[in-house]
Amino acid sequence: MTTTPAINIEHLRKAYRTGTVAVQDLSMQVQPGDFFGFLGPNGAGKSTTIHCITGIATVTSGKIEIFGIDAVKNYREARRMIGLSPQEFNVDTFATVTQIVDWMGGYFGMNAAQRKSRTDMLIQRFDLTQHAKKSFRELSGGLKRRVILARALVHDPKLLILDEPTAGVDVELRLDLWRYLQELNAEGKTILLTSHYLEEIERLCKTIAVIAGGKIVRQGPKEDFFTVPGGLEKAYLEATGHRADHVAAGAA
Amino acid sequence: MSDETNVTATIAPMPPMAINWIGLGTIIRREWSRVWRVPVQAFLAPWISALMFIFIFGFVVGGNIRHIAGHRYVEFVLPGVLMLNIVNAAFLQSTSQIYFQRFLRYIEETLVAPLSYIEMIIGSLTMTIVRAVVTAVGILLIGMAFGATHMNNVFEFIFWIVAVSIIFGLLGIIIALWANNFEQLTMLNVFFIAPLSFVGGVFNTVSMLPPWLKWLAYANPFFYFINGLRDSMIGFDESPPFLGYGVAFGLIAVLGGWTWRLFSIGYGLRE
Repeated sequence: MTTTPAINIEHLRKAYRTGTVAVQDLSMQVQPGDFFGFLGPNGAGKSTTIHCITGIATVTSGKIEIFGIDAVKNYREARRMIGLSPQEFNVDTFATVTQIVDWMGGYFGMNAAQRKSRTDMLIQRFDLTQHAKKSFRELSGGLKRRVILARALVHDPKLLILDEPTAGVDVELRLDLWRYLQELNAEGKTILLTSHYLEEIERLCKTIAVIAGGKIVRQGPKEDFFTVPGGLEKAYLEATGHRADHVAAGAA
Repeated sequence: MSDETNVTATIAPMPPMAINWIGLGTIIRREWSRVWRVPVQAFLAPWISALMFIFIFGFVVGGNIRHIAGHRYVEFVLPGVLMLNIVNAAFLQSTSQIYFQRFLRYIEETLVAPLSYIEMIIGSLTMTIVRAVVTAVGILLIGMAFGATHMNNVFEFIFWIVAVSIIFGLLGIIIALWANNFEQLTMLNVFFIAPLSFVGGVFNTVSMLPPWLKWLAYANPFFYFINGLRDSMIGFDESPPFLGYGVAFGLIAVLGGWTWRLFSIGYGLRE
């Protein structure tokens, strides 16, 4: 018996109006319940792929399905299953923490009682209680990141997409967040994570895909990336067309 | 972080084509909250501006002008002043709400949510109408304080307030999707809306114009808006019958179709 993938992407191509082709002929699958690491250098097409999945970017050609539902034709049904924590803060910076989380629940059709219970729970869960009435612009970088994560989770999505969620956060929050994400994954949520911290990918993910130049250049179970000396770092650099010794020499 | 108290959200499945009423309501709630962060700019400024217009042109200057169509000049001027402020309120509300969403990127919150284009447009327009109506009520009260109390047809009055709000709300959305900076955002207002609205009959009748300028008045859509509102308030109408309604419905259809098209292709919204 085959299971319907949480994400199924076939021959995705994304060309911007400027003519830049950010993603070309990208195909990949993320299985339900997976903790999927999506690696690649800056400008490789990670965020563009995520934007195509979530509807922030239009798809030039190709197919994207979320749990079997076409993300373009049936976008409303598909988006109900996705929670996104974007790389850049995309909020009304004058709104309060509570408003930001509550409004997102509203956009997803949650009634007032549902929004209240989820918002209260997430604000408590992310230690934001004493900041709940503060505007987003008053918060520190780490607190802002927590708000974005709480917002992504408010509608209890089956698929969580995290685009560099620990960029710029302190060690304590990063460790807490890792533990929380592992709990969510253990409860059955599918998680797609992009990060530049290989340690993070290594610790959390079960499957890894590497993207370079808008194409998937390597994909497989995490264990496959550790069959050679040098582990994930070496495998990643080789997949993206770099040699680990060259990078080390350049850095020296 | 604290340990989780597991509360799961059960969101009722939405059948295809159903309206996301809660999502629509949330767009309006969010905009209401945003407008109330700047009440002076949103409401007090147009009321004070209207007060000055009515005081100077209606009361001071108008005291030396003969009656027009059996009405005091202040009663004649009030619909025009009202329309100037309705146009401004609607245009500013819709441009600011869409442009700030793009500028701060929180338009992405609605793009990733199960909201249709129509819901996003209706949400924006509803708040535009609300702001225009609140502005209009305040100016009506100011007009009443100066003795301008006529209301010939309240339904026609409501029609023109709502129709003009929709027209300039849609125009504001289109401009906000196109603009890439604050300068571009104000261009339509400076070069189109302000000049045409002032020559659209705020302070004068068409019969006061020289013959060669009359055709310009009839070619100016603002004339029909001001004339329609004036007819609803004091029963003074210079337009051919139903032409004003035709202009209003025609503009709503054209601008509505254009706005829907821009949303459906993601122009200015999606990457």
